Amino acid sequence: MRRTLWVTGAAVSITLGLACATSAFAQDRAARADPRPANNPYEGKAEAISNGGAMFRTRCAGCHGPDARGYLGPDLTGFWGAGGTDDRMFDIVRKGIPGTEMIAADPTRVLDRDIWQVMAYLRTLSAVPATTPSGDAANGAQVFRANCTSCHMVNARGGQLGPDLSRIGSARPRAGLHAKLRGTANFIRPGYEPVTIVTRAGERIRGVRKNEDEFSIQIMDMRERLQGYLKDNLTEVRVEKQSVMPVYGPDRLSDRDLNDLLQYLAGLRGADTASR
Amino acid sequence: MRAVSVRVLQVAIVAVAASWTLAAQTPPPTQVTAQDLRDGLKNPTRWLNYGGDYGNQRYSPLTQITPANVNRLTAQWQFQTDTLGKFEATPLVLDGVIYVTGPLDTGWAIDARTGRQIWRYKRDLPPGLIACCGLVNRGFAVLGDRLFKTTLDAHIVAISRKTGAIEWDTPMVNYRHGYSGTTAPLVVKDKVIAGVAGAEYGIRGFIDAYDVNTGKQVWRFYTTAGPGDPGHATWRGTDQKAWENGGGSIWVPGAYDPELNLTYWGTGNAGPDYNGSAREGDNLYTASLVALDADTGALKWHYQFTPHDIWDYDSTQMPVLADLTLGGQLRKVVLFANRNGFFYVLDRATGKLIRAKPFIQTTWAKEIRPDGRPMLEPNSVPSEDGTKVCPDQTGGTNWMPPSFSPSLNLLFVTARESCGVFFSWKEDYAPGDAYRGGAVQRLVDEQYSMLRAIDALTGEKRWEFPYTNQSFAGVLSTASGLVFAGGSGNVIAFDGKSGKQLWHFQTGSSLYSGAITYMVDDRQYVLMPSGTTLTAFALAAF
Repeated sequence: MRRTLWVTGAAVSITLGLACATSAFAQDRAARADPRPANNPYEGKAEAISNGGAMFRTRCAGCHGPDARGYLGPDLTGFWGAGGTDDRMFDIVRKGIPGTEMIAADPTRVLDRDIWQVMAYLRTLSAVPATTPSGDAANGAQVFRANCTSCHMVNARGGQLGPDLSRIGSARPRAGLHAKLRGTANFIRPGYEPVTIVTRAGERIRGVRKNEDEFSIQIMDMRERLQGYLKDNLTEVRVEKQSVMPVYGPDRLSDRDLNDLLQYLAGLRGADTASR
Repeated sequence: MRAVSVRVLQVAIVAVAASWTLAAQTPPPTQVTAQDLRDGLKNPTRWLNYGGDYGNQRYSPLTQITPANVNRLTAQWQFQTDTLGKFEATPLVLDGVIYVTGPLDTGWAIDARTGRQIWRYKRDLPPGLIACCGLVNRGFAVLGDRLFKTTLDAHIVAISRKTGAIEWDTPMVNYRHGYSGTTAPLVVKDKVIAGVAGAEYGIRGFIDAYDVNTGKQVWRFYTTAGPGDPGHATWRGTDQKAWENGGGSIWVPGAYDPELNLTYWGTGNAGPDYNGSAREGDNLYTASLVALDADTGALKWHYQFTPHDIWDYDSTQMPVLADLTLGGQLRKVVLFANRNGFFYVLDRATGKLIRAKPFIQTTWAKEIRPDGRPMLEPNSVPSEDGTKVCPDQTGGTNWMPPSFSPSLNLLFVTARESCGVFFSWKEDYAPGDAYRGGAVQRLVDEQYSMLRAIDALTGEKRWEFPYTNQSFAGVLSTASGLVFAGGSGNVIAFDGKSGKQLWHFQTGSSLYSGAITYMVDDRQYVLMPSGTTLTAFALAAF
């Protein structure tokens, strides 16, 4: 037990060093931090739960939803019910999940105590995990190839107008993907904002915005051509709110196919080297 | 044989004469005097104070570059630091040499004609530094042949201008308790004045003066009023010692009025930032402007911009000293565009409020009463469930120095419209740990940043130039009517009167500092720090 704890502690301090540009700083602070307790020392404590709730709403709710039931990021209420441990949750918060929007918590801003307090709050929301969703992932993969591959890459295959989805199963909850596909939610990742520009010659070009400053804009057009344009040479630059991705209503995608597609996407949790 | 000797002698005489002639042509090394600092930018080859002059106007009398020819401005050289981090410093220039500090406690002397390094200074920093917002530094101060700077481990040091070697090194306070030094110091007569950052870590802020020759502390003014200090009664509530960890950091330099012998400093937020429940009262002298006797550090007057600050509205912006004709009367004033969103004009002899007007949307207070206190809006207190307040914690402006053009009576400010949702929770103080008592969610869709020209006489907005991305660029204006600022890595020249954009250059990295300008060899340069690069511009030589 002592050995396990020590190993975990070492892993954390290495991660902290990598996560922080000023590694000397981070190492020193990690070194003087107390060893991590096996269980949450703040669990069940009223003030900690109340503080943790406020911290959750500030730092976590944007992705995990105001009730922690998942939005851009996963539902957290079923974490413990599904066998998750305090130690595992602490690690995820402190180190983040590479390749997703879940960033590591900077130890200079987010103290260990803060993480424990947020976890104490989350435990009060803890619920029995929803029934395991079912669906035919093989059919989902077919649906994906027919509808999505032209813009989205999985395991190094597919288009690049939209984000790479090789890890989307770790990054997005099923509900979030459902909402995006059906068009009831419209979140757009930075670098994928839809834009239409019109040149002085009258040419209309649609694509996604990669970068922009006061005098120029850089886009990937719908044919995946990367190109920069001087605003002096454009008569219009319109960044739109509606994603380039079409809405897949029931007319385009049946409930059953959608369910299968979600089953397939939920299983995408990192590059599958075997399929390359 | 003899003839040869005579010839050798003749050659030697000619050589000695030539070297004397050369010596006569080369001026002796300059000793910067207290009078030189008072003269500000009168000598066009120099930039000796952080703010250009003691009043922080950043208004250069140079006119070689004009609105008519600025489109010929061309990059002449670039200097790169070879460090991580970014420049937040204002370089100094003297005798054709640039002196500038960089991130991670570095500094350089650089040839102002070519960008070539002359010497490099690098401090060995101890582990365990605590700085909330980047391991940065805002610049050197100069006097005699010494440079002065604060350090990330909360020392103040004197450095030889000739070699970059340390001449004295005085710890201001224990950095392990959350203190750091990032401000450029201010030299007044025989003292170098500076303060400490760290109001996110429960520090007790102060402003110190040190003897320029010995580094010995001469006076200290605490920015949170302790027992026996006037203003101590403004720290009430459940925590009897809230003032000990009450913040009030100093991380940009102040101003100096030689006639009044007063030095003016904007002070940082109260701590913990977002939870004021244990520190009821105004919490003097946080989020204030303090006017101190430059010889003794005695408080002459104070004006508190944000009493009982619970929004992280540091008043660490530049106090800009100007003489304005208001109501038919010439008044000595301080102009202050504050992070809390209001633009203030104060009488700088008395601290009395002359006028305050919002220069961006503010919802914590809609107006400032004639007695100088803000009229607070209801429902603006950070809470467990979040409270929407405008501006957000980064504020209507921040440390980026503005510029005042006395010929146009305009203050040019890098400003931003923003709102945030402010959350608060209870946090206990522990030395060296973050002590904020809350956090803020920015409402990204509601923010934009811009260069805004504010009429100093009326407080009205004259023009603005919106930036595509958040800008933290400082501003420079010149007597030819130009304004230099920028965003998204672009250095941009504007016509000061109309706001028309006249010229721009993409430097390749974001701007966290302001441009300066100087003459060398009868050529006017504009120098802009961006990222870890300095770029010098001058008119193309055709």
